[in-house]
Amino acid sequence: MKQLTIIPILIAVLFFALIKTAFANDGKYVEAMKKNIDAVYKAATIDELQAAVNAFQRIADAEKTKWEPNYYAAFGSILMATREKDGAKKDAHLDRAMEFVKKCKEIAPEDSEVITLEGFIYTIRVTVDPATRGPQFAGLAMQTYGKAIALNPENPRALSMLAQMQYGTAQFFGSSTAEACATLDKSLEKFATYKSDNPLAPMWGKKGAEDLKSQCK
Amino acid sequence: MQQTLLLILITSFSTALAQTTISGKVLDQSNQPVPMANVFLKDTYDGTTADENGNFSFTTEEKGDHILIVRLIGFKESVQSVTLSGRPLAINIEMKEEISELKAVTISAGSFAASDESRRTVFRAVDIATTAGATADIAGALNTLPGTQKNGESGRLFVRGGDGNEVKTFIDGMLVLDAYSPSAPNTPSRGRFLPFMFKGTSFSTGGYSAEFGQALSSTLALDSKDETTQSRTDFGLLSVGGDVAHTQAWKGGSVAGKVQYTNLTPYMGLINQEIDWIAAPVSWEGIGSFRQRVNKNGIVKVYGNFNRSEFSLNNHDIDDPSLTQYFKLTNDYNYINASYKDVLKGDWMIRGGVAYTSLRNKYDIGNDLINESEKGAHTKVAVEGSVTDHMELKAGVELFTREFSQGGTQEGSPFSLGFDEIITAGFVETDLYASNNFVTRAGVRVEQNSLTEKVTADPRMSLAYKVGNNGQFSLAWGKFRQTVKNEWLRLNTSLQAEKADHYILNYQRIENNKTFRVETYYKKYDNLIKIENGVVTNNGYGYAQGLELFWRDNESVDNLDYWISYSFLDTKRNYLNFAHEAAPGFSSKHNLSIVAKYFVVKLKSQLGTTFSYTSGRPYNNPNETKFNGSKTPSYQDLSFNWSYLPKPYLIVYFSCTNLLGRDNIFGYEYGSTLNEQGMYNSRAIRQSAPRFLFLGIFLTLSKDKSVNQLPTL
Repeated sequence: MKQLTIIPILIAVLFFALIKTAFANDGKYVEAMKKNIDAVYKAATIDELQAAVNAFQRIADAEKTKWEPNYYAAFGSILMATREKDGAKKDAHLDRAMEFVKKCKEIAPEDSEVITLEGFIYTIRVTVDPATRGPQFAGLAMQTYGKAIALNPENPRALSMLAQMQYGTAQFFGSSTAEACATLDKSLEKFATYKSDNPLAPMWGKKGAEDLKSQCK
Repeated sequence: MQQTLLLILITSFSTALAQTTISGKVLDQSNQPVPMANVFLKDTYDGTTADENGNFSFTTEEKGDHILIVRLIGFKESVQSVTLSGRPLAINIEMKEEISELKAVTISAGSFAASDESRRTVFRAVDIATTAGATADIAGALNTLPGTQKNGESGRLFVRGGDGNEVKTFIDGMLVLDAYSPSAPNTPSRGRFLPFMFKGTSFSTGGYSAEFGQALSSTLALDSKDETTQSRTDFGLLSVGGDVAHTQAWKGGSVAGKVQYTNLTPYMGLINQEIDWIAAPVSWEGIGSFRQRVNKNGIVKVYGNFNRSEFSLNNHDIDDPSLTQYFKLTNDYNYINASYKDVLKGDWMIRGGVAYTSLRNKYDIGNDLINESEKGAHTKVAVEGSVTDHMELKAGVELFTREFSQGGTQEGSPFSLGFDEIITAGFVETDLYASNNFVTRAGVRVEQNSLTEKVTADPRMSLAYKVGNNGQFSLAWGKFRQTVKNEWLRLNTSLQAEKADHYILNYQRIENNKTFRVETYYKKYDNLIKIENGVVTNNGYGYAQGLELFWRDNESVDNLDYWISYSFLDTKRNYLNFAHEAAPGFSSKHNLSIVAKYFVVKLKSQLGTTFSYTSGRPYNNPNETKFNGSKTPSYQDLSFNWSYLPKPYLIVYFSCTNLLGRDNIFGYEYGSTLNEQGMYNSRAIRQSAPRFLFLGIFLTLSKDKSVNQLPTL
């Protein structure tokens, strides 16, 4: 009789433990991600970025159903490309970023944030060699941001990146920056209001938008 | 009792586990530390990044058997089992270098690869469009590279003492018959293919892969673009005609069409020409392309080019210019190329295709009427991939079939000539990497020719060795053959293929957008066509040797990109009707090109200029005793172009060749009979006009207005 009463308790305990470990795992995931996301935002050197990208790769390897680790690995790689001077090395970082974006798309196809990041890669491709790459990648970048906005019109990053491309183009051709600034205003508005229920959702891009805003007066 | 049990159970799930520290050093094969490697336990978050000295250390709460992975780009992933027990582990890891495309040495002897995708190229696809003097012609732009000899009256590529026929063009690996548009005698012809269609160009001036056959001196391999992602419509208004193009894109595919009309009549009327045109060249051209992705990695490409051009003129007699002879040419040209490329298992790739060319020339000369037709098909299937990390293999089979016929009336009597040729070929080639710094390529090409009924094997070999981070030496050697020109083969179908041996030594250094190249070569010709007592034989021979320099700098001055090419050529041959070994008329000892492009941000313009110098070319003066003993004056040309982008979707393009109006003379023609002084009358072969001016306005309509035709110019 005593043994019989133990069984439901055992089941309850096991269930509790299971929930606990599941929570602990997700807690561990969120915690590890947050720590490294912070590291990416604060990284001052290419090596620091590399260390964070490595950490995201480790998490991505262990968490095959989550898109965020690959997203931040791609984001870190793009930032590495922006700090690199040598064109060939820039391209190598961007190639790697593209691989991470592809993995993201396998897990989370048609995600506005992921598509924005893809556009970011094309934007930086242009900077490798504007004369050669501009015609090819500038259009592609704009097109990609357009797709990201269509997927989620609330995404402030997609709007901000598009505004920056529009501004650059307008400036080059000496035409009006009104369209770019309108997009930018929309982006700033979304930065203020947009809230994601994902604790690991991307947060970057506001400063770039604010910097551009100072030129939009 | 129950409560204690519960307590024990709960605590057993949350017991703090003992930690294990794993530390060590990451080293390469030569025991040098490798920084920034990702060191971690498989399927856990536990791990770290090695520091700049390769040292790493991290702790883990995991227990028991696990797998330790060390990962770094450029190295093979290191995988090993570890047992975690709480005791510290010290592990040194030796990483094996991976042969990577990015770091591995490439064979540069004889080769100028141009691609917009890779940074480590000497020449970019967009350069073709923006080189002044080239007027967006592929051959025109490549003529500014070392190894070429400028022949202003021909417009074709002449490479290292070889004539224009020794350069063969391939699109996506498939042969093109007659890659140049027809032109009036002694006026430059243009390539049939527009540079904007290609994402990469590989121009080789010798020592090329066993994959390429039927080319004696040089290959021009054009790699067509993949599918476009954006629908657009382009309009071009040119000083010599106009064009309309439309591209429709869908997910994974695109179709594009272009119609172009060129009419030189208004231009010829405006600017006085040396040529006595009856009807200046008029041409209609249609281009179509289709791209579709299939499966995950496969792509089908179909491309077609259909052209009809026509012109007529009066040829004037040298002895009596008032005597004229009517000359009319109608040319019909159709080219279709379909290719398929897909990834097989793992690293292996298959590609194949069919190319079909059909061309017809109708000559109306005086009272003679000649119809000439050539049809050719090229079929190829090739596989390539990695056998091991250090060995790559490429193998394929090919079939070339060609049908040539010529008939009509010549000097009043009917005639008919022709031949059918079938060449079956196979090639195999391997790249062996000793390391990222050293590669050896060895290949052989076997051909069977239905006319000569011979089986031939041509071995080819090259190697490249990297010195330091940016410099490399390359060496190439190989045997090459090419069927003799149609004009000879139609007379005697048992003629053997012409042969050449190439020996090339190259040094190249690319650093910070600066390229330096020096190359020296020796080429031996054999089996060349020789006419002895009116009989066409294979008894001709010859050689070419030279030294070439190339310098390009895209870095030192902001917005300025320039290059300088110099070629020295020493060549002689005893062929055709040559009395003895002599330098042929298309060869020149010194060739110099200086190309500069400057982007003026304020003007939203790119300005370009090209200066070309070609030393005097030999010609035979029948009034002199020495065969081919005379020399033309040097050729000099200063060209200019200007591309202006007032709006993102609009381009205005202007170009002018020979700004200084120099009267360049390419050679002399002589009368057939002696005049009263016992001499032959002569006439200089000149440019048809001192300058060629071109103005074009290009407008692009697309969904977003940032697209323009810049890459097409």
